[in-house]
Amino acid sequence: MAYTLRGRIESRVAAALAPLIAGCVLALAIQAWWPVELAGLMLGVGLLFDAAYHRLVPYQPGWAALPLGLLELAAIMALARPLHIGAPLWAALLFYAASWLLAQVLAHAVFPLVRLSYGEDGGELGRAGAGVAATALVVLAAAGGVAWATQPPVVHLAAGVHEGPLVLDHSQQLQGEPGAVVRGGIVITADDVSVRDVTVVGGEHGIQVDSAERVLLERVSVLDATLDGINVRRGQVTIRDCTVSMVGNEYGQGIDISFTADFEPSLVENCLLTGGQEGIFLDSVHAMARDNHVRRTTLRGITVTEMAMVSVEENTVEDALGIGIFCSDYSMCDIRENSITGIRADRGSSDSMREGYGIVSHYWAHAEVEDNDVSQSPYEMGEFADAHITLE
Amino acid sequence: MGSGLAGFCAYATLRKGGLEPAEIAVFGTDPDPAAAWRVRAAAIRQRRMRSESDGHCAPSSFPGLAVRAALRRRSPAPLLRSVCDRYHPSVDEFLEHVEELRAASGWNESFRLGRVESVRAVEGGFALDGHGVFPHVLLAPGHPGLAWPEGLADDPRAVHAYEPHDYADTVEIVGAGMAAATEWLNALAAGASVVSVRRREPERRPLNLPRELFSRRGLAGFHRTPPAERIALLRRYGAPSYPAGRDWDEPVESARKSGRFRIAPELNGAPQVVCATGFKRGFRHDPLLARLVAEHGLETAGDWIVLTPESTVGSLTDGARTLALAGAPAQWAFPAADTLMGAKYAARRFLRRVNAWRTR
Repeated sequence: MAYTLRGRIESRVAAALAPLIAGCVLALAIQAWWPVELAGLMLGVGLLFDAAYHRLVPYQPGWAALPLGLLELAAIMALARPLHIGAPLWAALLFYAASWLLAQVLAHAVFPLVRLSYGEDGGELGRAGAGVAATALVVLAAAGGVAWATQPPVVHLAAGVHEGPLVLDHSQQLQGEPGAVVRGGIVITADDVSVRDVTVVGGEHGIQVDSAERVLLERVSVLDATLDGINVRRGQVTIRDCTVSMVGNEYGQGIDISFTADFEPSLVENCLLTGGQEGIFLDSVHAMARDNHVRRTTLRGITVTEMAMVSVEENTVEDALGIGIFCSDYSMCDIRENSITGIRADRGSSDSMREGYGIVSHYWAHAEVEDNDVSQSPYEMGEFADAHITLE
Repeated sequence: MGSGLAGFCAYATLRKGGLEPAEIAVFGTDPDPAAAWRVRAAAIRQRRMRSESDGHCAPSSFPGLAVRAALRRRSPAPLLRSVCDRYHPSVDEFLEHVEELRAASGWNESFRLGRVESVRAVEGGFALDGHGVFPHVLLAPGHPGLAWPEGLADDPRAVHAYEPHDYADTVEIVGAGMAAATEWLNALAAGASVVSVRRREPERRPLNLPRELFSRRGLAGFHRTPPAERIALLRRYGAPSYPAGRDWDEPVESARKSGRFRIAPELNGAPQVVCATGFKRGFRHDPLLARLVAEHGLETAGDWIVLTPESTVGSLTDGARTLALAGAPAQWAFPAADTLMGAKYAARRFLRRVNAWRTR
């Protein structure tokens, strides 16, 4: 078909209406916003591409829908991560494929049937086009309105020192003003809590998440905690852009996420962790540790253990004692593109694993390893106690 | 209306739009809407349509002939070819579709045997000879006759491609369009030597015109052109063309290598001359249209009656009546008016006007 620009836009919006509505219904059913966000993103990307197609594709044969659909899919996938659309991959692909298929059926069969001149009008829908566009706008606005209205309340934490422990036991967004400090820790026990731009000093755990899901910790700084910097039990968290200092803490972990294997995956991203026994400790979890910087730990840099399934990607581990990245106890680890440097042999230990390994797979664990850079360390990697390492 | 394929497309569209057979009168000399086309297709031994899946007479482009073929053959191959713009229905499939649609649409109930010689604008509509007054008239008179090269109409050696004929041992084929290309292959297949008489190289494109001109994308600019420019465009669009592809090129190339095919700028005394030169062009060759223009002082430009983009005669069309043209004479509104797509373009706009009038 030789679409006009208006025809492309009207056809696009009309075809997006059903996915938008389906996204709203799905969002209600699964209590998650990603279907609406994904449907909105698909429409937005599609409209942007339509503007380009108008010049580049004066006539679009039927077969072209496939490569153009794949191109749009790639753009959507590239944008989904920075826009924090938390859609499970398979579900998102299924949603996209169903929407694409529906759009083809509409363009090739339904629209020509209901509007006889659809083809010669270049995909324009006449008066119905404006109606459909208005309906799509209403659906988007309604979904956006509901999303806005159901957002957890924003609680502003003023600059200055606040005595803790601060207990967050209902859904909310705690937003720290510049200079906001909580002394004595934060305890989160409710779902849908976010904490941003707060410094936590002291406390048994700097931030403790207990039986709470969809928790977001963003741009938080933790120092001088007695046990762990951030401690998560039976919960699901996204920790992003954090700083945890455990310097001088003999037994604590920078971030410890444990016993959450039956929850949605957790994410630790772009955090700076200094000191303590281990920088990131992931025990019986599904999780991803990505783009973090771990240094000067006294036991291991990053630990994955006890049947955990974890991706460890693009992290920097430096100046750790004994082991850089440790995959243990029937865990499955995907260890890629990490930089591990300056791992020192632990002369105070008789454990052969601790002689300065960049990567260790231990006790029936299986680590898939690809493109890691281990330097200034006695050993690059080692397998112990029936564990395996597969080089990709 | 006329009773050829353009009239038939309009009839099917009007029926889809809710008009009953009793509300439509079709005037013509043959109740078979494909009668004239069938003879021409048989004369040039055409086996496949140049048009694609949506080259049919049904009012909606879906389901096209590829879908029907896929269902009938229980094979996705026609659909796959269609999405690649490589599906061309056979002439038999097309004619079968015309027969089915004719039976299903009630065409025979609306058909009235008789040629309309004149159309006059009168109070409340248009008087068609002695057939009465009709508020909305769509004229689809078809092509005004075969075009013969100068001096060949009475030459005993000459036969028109669209008239039944066989082939002599050496054939000169005048023209370079789809019919001419088909005749090259026919004559070669019959064992003849072929001289292609042409003064310029034909364009190679899948359809009669670039695809954009079949939709508003290309039409919007076309409709904005001033008369002189539009005349030049229509003349350019009328240049001969036929599709690219091995099916066309390989037999010709093979014959050329063996000395059985060559190109010449002039006739050179062959025992048979096949004139693949299409049809006469312009309203002046059609008595009905020529009289209409003369009696009503219609605006014309070159060989064309000036039409609105809706394919109507603007000076004779208002809220109470419509005079529309379809088929070859409607090129001022739709350059590919003599195709099935062009027939439906005029028909759909005619339906809109009729429906708007009915619901006033």
